[in-house]
Amino acid sequence: MQIEVRSLQKNYGRVKAVRDVSFDVAEGQLRVILGPSGCGKTTVLRLIAGLEPVSAGSIRIAGVDVTLLPPDRRNISMVFQSYALFPHLSVRENIIFGLKVRKVPGPEIEKRLERVIELLGLGQRLDAKPGELSGGMQQRVALGRAIIAEKPVTLMDEPLSNLDAKLRNTMRREICALQRRLGISMVYVTHDQVEAMTMADRILLMREGRIVQDDVPESFYERPANVFVARFIGTPPMNILPLCNGGGGAALAPDGPVLYPGLDGSRFKLGIRPENLRLADEGHPAVVTGKEYLGSDTFIACAINGHEAIVRTRGMSDLAPGVPIHLTWDSKTLCLFDAHTEMRIEDAPEAEPLP
Amino acid sequence: MEPSAFWHRIETLAAWLLALIWAAPLLYAFWAAFHPPHYAVHFSLTAPLTLANFVEAWQTAPFARYFLNTILYTTTTTALQFVLCTLAAYSFACYDWKGRDIAFALILIQLMVMPDQLLVVNYQTMTALKLVDSIPAISLPYIASAFGVFLLRQNFKQVPIALAEAARVEGAGPLTILMKVYVPLSKSVYLAYGLVSVSWHWNNFLWPLVITNSVTTRPITVGLSIFGSPENGVNFAIVSAGTLMSVAPLLVGFLLFQRQFVQSFMRAGIK
Repeated sequence: MQIEVRSLQKNYGRVKAVRDVSFDVAEGQLRVILGPSGCGKTTVLRLIAGLEPVSAGSIRIAGVDVTLLPPDRRNISMVFQSYALFPHLSVRENIIFGLKVRKVPGPEIEKRLERVIELLGLGQRLDAKPGELSGGMQQRVALGRAIIAEKPVTLMDEPLSNLDAKLRNTMRREICALQRRLGISMVYVTHDQVEAMTMADRILLMREGRIVQDDVPESFYERPANVFVARFIGTPPMNILPLCNGGGGAALAPDGPVLYPGLDGSRFKLGIRPENLRLADEGHPAVVTGKEYLGSDTFIACAINGHEAIVRTRGMSDLAPGVPIHLTWDSKTLCLFDAHTEMRIEDAPEAEPLP
Repeated sequence: MEPSAFWHRIETLAAWLLALIWAAPLLYAFWAAFHPPHYAVHFSLTAPLTLANFVEAWQTAPFARYFLNTILYTTTTTALQFVLCTLAAYSFACYDWKGRDIAFALILIQLMVMPDQLLVVNYQTMTALKLVDSIPAISLPYIASAFGVFLLRQNFKQVPIALAEAARVEGAGPLTILMKVYVPLSKSVYLAYGLVSVSWHWNNFLWPLVITNSVTTRPITVGLSIFGSPENGVNFAIVSAGTLMSVAPLLVGFLLFQRQFVQSFMRAGIK
């Protein structure tokens, strides 16, 4: 393992920012730490970088316990959210800053600089100051400064959050390609689930200082650990509908078809992705309450026994609010959650097919 | 005429009037210095121009030595202030240590103490250090400038912490971070503070008068006052020439750095 984090804790006074976080990053892996703001993800990154002392726990990088080492002896490079480019230095000097500080010989610096410039396409603007560059170019310079150090681990703190949506897509792909090409192990912090899903080899989802789920992206989507993950991943998020007791088992409505015979409906919630709900001539009754047209898709909002659910349909839809519809689904795509703890039931029985 | 335009004119007029009153002594010095002594109190547009006053002033008093003393005194003071204030400000702005806030409060209190109040105490200190009548003795009381510490600390605080952290990750130690990140980013403040400090010390009079008593240490302000003192018989033309010579470097500096000067005094006033 390239990075091993064990029982990491960080307290600021009485505030527990990180509570008992443990995870690994394999060599050459792009590991995304995802979570809403204030969940402690950036703190974890800063602890790995050594910018803050840990309150408890240990961090090993490439087999060496670095818990007490200063940042420069941890074999890492870092890209900051604000890029942290030195405004008084040119692009060239910004990139080679670390090499000069570490007294790398001149010819070696030139050799590495040439390679980084080629990788990032920075050739034209080497003598410009960061302030004269666009956001995307500044981002590249920050990447260049991280890459040129040739460290096995690169830490990224929300590197794309200051870019506009279009540029963000481009840079996302570029960072991924670069990481694969150079074989760097990367820890990438973001609050954007799209970034996490598209880039990550493995995602670590955090909330209130704790790990909620540590898994590959597919699992996050198909087998969310709890309601929070189910609602956090996916646009629009997973529909979570409370179950109730129908005739002889759990159902979505007291008079609706029974989905889980013999189960106490009041103790569970049902989760289903909008694209797994289909409009049909027969199925579970619902009433349209609104719609959003997105071009390729239309999100139809409807009420099932008074609870809102989103249905994703292809193309345009002529359904108007108030129209009664029928929904159907594949029982395999349903998730069952505990109504109280909100945790997903791992060994849930498969739901009965709709009549 | 609109009232606002009227008041605007009054303001302009008042500003010109004030400027004229302010500049009158300097203008008079120019008049007196470039004309024969006879015309010092006798204005005539046809008065002949002359440089004789400058020659005479230069020959009567050791102006060259005074200049050298002033230059040595102001440059050492400003240079030492830069070093000391930078280090102090860096520690106040970027490090957390026990008693930091109290120490900083004490420094702020020092801002309110007039240097003239400490004349006697400073003299005793210099006597104890056996430095009386030396150039370091003129500098020493000023090098731990509270104003400098305060100004630089405020500025260092505005530098994003991420920059220092980025430098740290790249392997820079505390001094490298100071010299390669904080100092270059505060260049304009150093220029402003340097200008204020140099002009203040160039004009400083009371403390140098007290602590110096020989030609080899006296700065130009003290030298000029001895040169112009009544027991030597006042010759306004020559005194004016001497004065002009002594302020010439500052005047040239002002013309060169006019904008920075105004900005720096404004900054110093605001902060």
